[in-house]
Amino acid sequence: MTPKFKAQAGTFESSDIMILIEPLEKDSGRKVDISSTVILQFEEDIKKTINQVLDRLQVEGLHLIAKDKGALTQTIEARVETAVKRSLGIQEGTM
Amino acid sequence: MGVENTDYREESLDLNNPFDIKLVSEFLEPLGFEFDSIDVDYTMILYNLNQEVIGTGSYKGRVLKYVAVSPKFREGAAFAQIVTHLIELVINEHKHIFVYTKPRNLEVFKGLGFTEIATAEPLFSVLEFGYENIKTYQDYLRSIKKDVTFGGIAAIVVNCNPFTKGHKYLIEKACAENRVVYLFVVEEDRSSFTFDIRWRLIQEELGHIENLVMVKGGDYVVSGTIFPCYFLKDEKECDIAAKQAELDVVTFLNYIVPILNINRRYVGTEMYSPVTAAYNEAMIKYLPSNGVEILEIPRITQGSSDNYISALKVRIAIREDRLNEVLDFLPDSTKNYLLSEESAEIREKIRNTVTRH
Repeated sequence: MTPKFKAQAGTFESSDIMILIEPLEKDSGRKVDISSTVILQFEEDIKKTINQVLDRLQVEGLHLIAKDKGALTQTIEARVETAVKRSLGIQEGTM
Repeated sequence: MGVENTDYREESLDLNNPFDIKLVSEFLEPLGFEFDSIDVDYTMILYNLNQEVIGTGSYKGRVLKYVAVSPKFREGAAFAQIVTHLIELVINEHKHIFVYTKPRNLEVFKGLGFTEIATAEPLFSVLEFGYENIKTYQDYLRSIKKDVTFGGIAAIVVNCNPFTKGHKYLIEKACAENRVVYLFVVEEDRSSFTFDIRWRLIQEELGHIENLVMVKGGDYVVSGTIFPCYFLKDEKECDIAAKQAELDVVTFLNYIVPILNINRRYVGTEMYSPVTAAYNEAMIKYLPSNGVEILEIPRITQGSSDNYISALKVRIAIREDRLNEVLDFLPDSTKNYLLSEESAEIREKIRNTVTRH
């Protein structure tokens, strides 16, 4: 699937992660930019977690920006999933 | 919204309601801000459960402004909550968000994932956030870069509002003296002549010059984001203009010069506008010490020796309906354009407004 809209999920608060997604041209794959307060220790882990969720949901053709403030793996998964669903127009609202 | 943190309550303000404006103004005043409701499109306010105002934030277009939290609540998540709230609204419309803030708040915004572009102590810092950033602009610069690594590589920044023989002379002189000339055209559409028109008139007249590369100024070269004073009507706040000019020059130096290997910058002598004069001063302060030579080219005259060519004079002439008197100032492209029907709308607009640009 490819995203239709720009979307975001998460906040800038501590122990959370802000995920922003924008659609790219078809067949342009994924572009993932990560910035984190714990980038030195966990960059690879964060990248892996995000890619796993994207693989599971089978989405391509997006630019994803992650601004992490030390979120746990489950938080990252949840935020990415919500952002993806919003960008596909499947899910709306906060809850 | 606001479900994530039930400690605080978010509310948006009615900017037409004087009571709401008073509320924000009174909150911001002790924190050192002078709130001006014309300056914003949207304002939100954050209450705690005792109904006390503990923070506020606003935006205009894609620039966040007046983001402040009362000192007692700075330890908590209030600041992050305000910025999250604002960004959710702005990012839907724009790909790119800027923050204009005091340098002492730099670290707070950096902690939220913003990237610093430039700082002019002690008044201003500019940060950015979003899908596009200064790297996107640098990629654009790389895509138009000429493969020249030695010899004179010059930059000129012009607004060309409108394009005159003075601009033409400056650009042609630079082209004759250098191997490559990068001509940055200010992209912000706040001038009387739109960017498309300004770009077209220059291209018609000078497009044939082989070593001239025209570059879009984007958000980083004399943009209303980094250098808002340049587009303001009155010029009383020259200190602020000087600081903003500094931001612009620092951005140019840090992000543009290294990509294009620029080693010269051409400017025209400024006699009329104090803001541009402040800008030239900022260049003199920063550029030569960092390996960019400044060449100030005296303005050329038309007819008598004190009749300097200036785009401002052209605009005044249009306003006062005596375009014929300044036709000598204009190269063919601008002359034809101004005499054609196509420009009727712009001429009308200039006649009806009283701005410096």
